[in-house]
Amino acid sequence: MNYTLNLKLSAGEGTVIRALGLIERRGFRLDSCSVSEVDAGSRCMQVKVTSSRPGDLLKRQLERLHDVYHVELRPVSPGKSQPTGLHPISRRI
Amino acid sequence: MKTSTLSLPAQRSGSQILIEALVRNGVKQIFGYPGGTIMPVYDALVGSGLKHYLCRHEQGAALAADAYGRVTRRAGVCIGTSGPGATNLVTGIANAFMDSVPMVIITGQVPSALQGTDAFQEVDIFGITLPIVKHSYIIRDIADIPQIVNEAFQLAQGGRPGPVLIDLPKDVSAGMGRVAYSAPLSQPKIQQPDQRSLRLAAEMLTRSRRPLVIAGGGIAISDSVEVFRRFIDRTGVPVTATLKGLGVMRTEDPGYLGMLGMHGNGAANHAVQNCDLLMVVGARFDDRATGLLAQFAPSARIIHVDIDAAEISKLRKADLAIVSELAPALDGIRTVAKTNPGWSAQCTGWKKEFSWRYDAPVKGIYAPRLLRDLSRARPEGMTITCDVGQHQMWVAQHCSFNDPLEHLSSGGLGTMGYGLPAAIGAKVARPEHTVVCVSGDGSIMMNIQELATLKRYSIDVKILLLDNSALGLVRQWQEIFFDGNYSEVHLDDNPDFAGVARAFGIQGRSIREPEEVSDAIDWLLNSDGAALLHVSIDSMENVWPLVPPGKPNHKMMRSSPARKRSES
Repeated sequence: MNYTLNLKLSAGEGTVIRALGLIERRGFRLDSCSVSEVDAGSRCMQVKVTSSRPGDLLKRQLERLHDVYHVELRPVSPGKSQPTGLHPISRRI
Repeated sequence: MKTSTLSLPAQRSGSQILIEALVRNGVKQIFGYPGGTIMPVYDALVGSGLKHYLCRHEQGAALAADAYGRVTRRAGVCIGTSGPGATNLVTGIANAFMDSVPMVIITGQVPSALQGTDAFQEVDIFGITLPIVKHSYIIRDIADIPQIVNEAFQLAQGGRPGPVLIDLPKDVSAGMGRVAYSAPLSQPKIQQPDQRSLRLAAEMLTRSRRPLVIAGGGIAISDSVEVFRRFIDRTGVPVTATLKGLGVMRTEDPGYLGMLGMHGNGAANHAVQNCDLLMVVGARFDDRATGLLAQFAPSARIIHVDIDAAEISKLRKADLAIVSELAPALDGIRTVAKTNPGWSAQCTGWKKEFSWRYDAPVKGIYAPRLLRDLSRARPEGMTITCDVGQHQMWVAQHCSFNDPLEHLSSGGLGTMGYGLPAAIGAKVARPEHTVVCVSGDGSIMMNIQELATLKRYSIDVKILLLDNSALGLVRQWQEIFFDGNYSEVHLDDNPDFAGVARAFGIQGRSIREPEEVSDAIDWLLNSDGAALLHVSIDSMENVWPLVPPGKPNHKMMRSSPARKRSES
């Protein structure tokens, strides 16, 4: 499943890498990413990701970050599932 | 606030400002280890009124701060220098992250101008710890120190708690400035449950024929034990607990079925597999608790109550999610009827069927029985800290707890070496408690240097060391799942642990015969000051039951399939 995420983030140190790190670590492949400045205190970031895991879970995991102000999630091509090479979430033992 | 040029703050160093900010946030005791880049902070510590405990390894300091945070529900503070000091803290930070423990970590960093140049003892601890902190800061300006410290405490302690790291470059800690303090931040308004969800939960509970509750660690973290027990009294729903939920229900409570999961009690596992409604309170469907997830509680609808929205439907889809502080949610669920007596009777039947037995023929001292006896002999207010391995599971199975803070165990990360530093943190936080560290011969060696910390500060921790001359749980898995092919698990060249304790200035005693147990427990609990009781047990003893990996929870093994006794 492909998703597009639009995030509004603090412009503080480490914010972008923290969010990107979380996305990969939680089982989503980063397909593309762009970051731009909104104002002195914030940035916006658009990320396209692929995963067999649910996108709304990733949204809630990103919303948990202190320096992420807002997350919008849009599924792309719903129903079209692609193999990602990532472990399905129930496989961990 | 009125200000004038006369009340301009005094010129102070960044370190002095940091220490005062800690004190203003209520910090009284910290754990740490000095070194190059953190030296300005250690300079400012002298005469500050903060009590610093010098641990003998940064990991010990971090794990002590973890236990301190668990029992006080206020952030434990640990401090270390840059480079290896910081990397040594990492295991303790991850431990706190996995178990949702409030902690503030302060690391020295090389001066800003040298950052990024591979300077001596430079490491990007901010980057290294990104996935294992709730939040982190690098302080770039002296003026930011009070606000960042305030935020760090608010974040560490608020909502679902966790570790917050502050990296402090030496030019900031040693620099001078006139900085005003702001008041510590109060916690934001607590998250209230949605009323409609509470009504739905009450309906689901009322309609259910076979309801069950899983009590998780979140109940202790949010100080909701009494509210939870009231809820259970009202509804009569049988209860099981996760490792971190032990003590939420008194172990002796008739409606309590014990721990679920891989080494859980058969009653708990059968109840979970047979219930038609499972209410999970402050727990997160950890794989050690669920067994094969796809067959976990197969006929149950799920009510998941948790403060963290990101835990909902992460592993098991919730039919009803209540994202809220636990206490108002539990208080707000008003059911009409008590639980179906037939189901309660079935649970009681399982409880009887699967009650622990202590009469198996064993060689020498039987550790489960010894732990039960320790638990029976305990004085009022006893905390047990555990390391990780067979002894940890035996404590979970065979010790009784009246409160979850009586049991401190590394649940999520499973950190061997947690027990002794955790006992230090727990005793410093609650000196009136008897604190017993139950450890194994593998785990104790991970942080044995902290015996020196016990001695230095006369910290009265009792150590019960169960020595099976093996990495027991790994050995057990090799026996069962790797065809008895033992690989790097034998520790028959262990040191004389009682002698090691004595070398550190701690009383030590060794036993190996069952008739010595009673007297030795009495000696341990009543000895004056720190003491270590070394107990030799059979190296082939296993933890039962065991849910094999990839199996559902009711497929419990109760003995080795084809025992290979390859020991001499």
